[in-house]
Amino acid sequence: MRTVMLLLFGFTVAASAAWAHHSYGATYNTKQEIKLEGKLVQFVYRNPHSFVHVEAPDTGGAMQRWAVEWAGTSQLANTGVTRESLKVGDQVVITARPSRVSGEYRVLMVRLIRPSDGFTWGSRGGEVVD
Amino acid sequence: MTRSSSSALLLLAAAAVLASVPVFTQPARPATPPDIAGEWRLENNEEDTTAQPSLGDYLGIPFNAAGRLRSDTTAESIWGTPEYQCRPHSAPHQWRGLGGARILKEQDPLTREVKVYHIQFMRSLDRPVFMDGRPHPPAYAPHSWTGFSTGEWIGNTLKITATHFKDGYLKRGGPQVSDMYTMTEFISRHGELLTIVSVTDDPVYQDEPYVQSTTYQIETTATTAMETCNGSAFAENGGTNRHHVPHFLPGQNADARAEWLKDNSWIPEIAALGGVKTTYPEFRATLNGSVPEGKLTVPASKSALDLEKRIAAQAPRDGEVHVLPVQGSVYMLVVDGNNVTAQVGRDGVLMVNTGAAHMTEKLQAAVNQLATSVQAQAATNTCSGANCPGSWGWTSPYMNAVISSPAPARPLRYIINTSVAAENVGGNEKLATSGFFPRVQGFGTAVASVGRGASIVAHENVLNRMSATVGKQAAFPPVAQPTDTYFDEFHKLPEFVNGEAVIVYHAPAATTDGDSIVFFRHSEVISAGNLYSTVSYPVIEVDKGGSIHGVLNGLNRILDLAVAEYRAQGGTWVIPGRGRLSDTADVASYRNMIHIIRDRVQDMIKKGMTLEQVKAARPTMDFDRRYGSTTGAWTTDMFVEAVYRSLRK
Repeated sequence: MRTVMLLLFGFTVAASAAWAHHSYGATYNTKQEIKLEGKLVQFVYRNPHSFVHVEAPDTGGAMQRWAVEWAGTSQLANTGVTRESLKVGDQVVITARPSRVSGEYRVLMVRLIRPSDGFTWGSRGGEVVD
Repeated sequence: MTRSSSSALLLLAAAAVLASVPVFTQPARPATPPDIAGEWRLENNEEDTTAQPSLGDYLGIPFNAAGRLRSDTTAESIWGTPEYQCRPHSAPHQWRGLGGARILKEQDPLTREVKVYHIQFMRSLDRPVFMDGRPHPPAYAPHSWTGFSTGEWIGNTLKITATHFKDGYLKRGGPQVSDMYTMTEFISRHGELLTIVSVTDDPVYQDEPYVQSTTYQIETTATTAMETCNGSAFAENGGTNRHHVPHFLPGQNADARAEWLKDNSWIPEIAALGGVKTTYPEFRATLNGSVPEGKLTVPASKSALDLEKRIAAQAPRDGEVHVLPVQGSVYMLVVDGNNVTAQVGRDGVLMVNTGAAHMTEKLQAAVNQLATSVQAQAATNTCSGANCPGSWGWTSPYMNAVISSPAPARPLRYIINTSVAAENVGGNEKLATSGFFPRVQGFGTAVASVGRGASIVAHENVLNRMSATVGKQAAFPPVAQPTDTYFDEFHKLPEFVNGEAVIVYHAPAATTDGDSIVFFRHSEVISAGNLYSTVSYPVIEVDKGGSIHGVLNGLNRILDLAVAEYRAQGGTWVIPGRGRLSDTADVASYRNMIHIIRDRVQDMIKKGMTLEQVKAARPTMDFDRRYGSTTGAWTTDMFVEAVYRSLRK
């Protein structure tokens, strides 16, 4: 019983570490998806959430710097993503959920594909930002 | 008698003596209050214990219309802005946050009484609860995430009274609280359980206090973790505008509540909107259609706080000067409701603004007293003999100080006027002439038209306005006018003053065309002038070149210069023109408000609305109870008009 309790408490803390103040549901429109195709300009591998910055056009064709919110380091590491997995300059295709604030260049990662070598994230089990 | 039996007799005798000692009168608390110290695990079955309500779900919250609008228009992305990324959970949510709680007790080493409880959560700063009877700080003292808490035992329950909080959220993901709320918590221990009943009283956004209870269980196998912040100023919101303020225009986010209600069709929308009537059983009569909401009465408990009085206390108009030490060499002087900044040290005194004219004598007396205490502080002797530093022969510094009276305080060297407003330049004439600034023709020599007085530094437009003729005379006498003006983006004082650089930044077209911000670079203090107030909307004088854009840019300049100490609070202190001492978080919240109001009025102008229509639409409604006024020299209507006019230009 004690072991179970310990595990439960540990799980609670670990889960919360990847769960900062803001909630995904409140920040992003979880019923919509958009696609970004562009150049990776920054990869921030960190807790509680990692970020990928991509230069890609908006719907009007103007180039923007998009912040793509990704999972924390523990979750990414468990799905095989390390600090070295992505490099500045990589061409990527990202499917993401848009911000609820119109005109904001902030999105939530759903899928990432790097066509040059076929690297993907978001289509296997556990590859959902939580 | 054996050795052990004699020892036992001695112990019995000692016990009898101890028992006969009279019990001294103590404050009303049990002789042994329950021990609440330890590690605690959240143990609660309430629905929203660890998560958050859905967007637009205000069930059970006694919101007023302002609270509802503020929450509906707050975007969660705000947490991605540089000034928000490291904020801990707001205090009303802390007991519901994940990660457990730790309560430590700090004991007096002599009496072993608990002097302070420290409450810690995974996402919080240490929260001290003072048990020694100390008073709460004055209203013009800073607010923080954890507030200022005092405690007392009432029977077996610890009652905590907490004030001085920053603004934040009542619950994660939407429902907001203002920076004027207080919390009263009642903590009881029952065996291995700890029950916390918290009462959040926010008269800005609520019609009655919000009560919630949370239960914890003793935790013996784990400790509360600490989540540090590594957010820094990383651009989480994308784009390249570091001053981006996400928010929704009124009505723009209505889909969020509709989405949730669509999935929970059993919830009536009228209940989801919250409000004091929805929290009472009588509301059933409205739900079943027998009593319209407008005619429903409930036995609501009003806020215990006098909001207007509490806001006014941040800038007391009491005819007095209150001194608040800030940081380094800098002090905040609350002068009949207007703030004056004084930097005091071995070089003398530098003042930012001089208060209203009628307060000059009291201000001068306070500054002199401050300078004397800082520069010529009485101290006991620490050295005797011929080799003491600063002594000549056998006369020690102590003897010099005692026998011959201490040297007078060093004089006022600089006055910096942050604008031409009467409360900023009112004391110039008397204070400047009492000061001393060494000029050409030999130090100490009077210079025609300037004299020996303190240097008065300001943007050139302040001089232009003060020297402009009104009738046949200048608006202000020559001795009150700036002696050293600048016209550039910023102006560095030409030398260190009291050991630090002092830089004056121009804020173009802000409250007037001559606004300045003063940055004390070593003390890490910014004197914001009239750009920033914690008791009112900014007083924008459009006819003197002021504009809403300029105020916004000036506030953003302050945020660019200031750095938080830890978890988005403290660090660089900001002295407002009026109101409580602040930091980056407070300025960011004020900046956000100005940004939001600017966008709302701009949107109304785009829709072709006239000034009267804009006023009637109340674009400031959710901030009016906090910063607005229907009477006095600067009303909400005047502010809205200034915003409208400056956007129409």
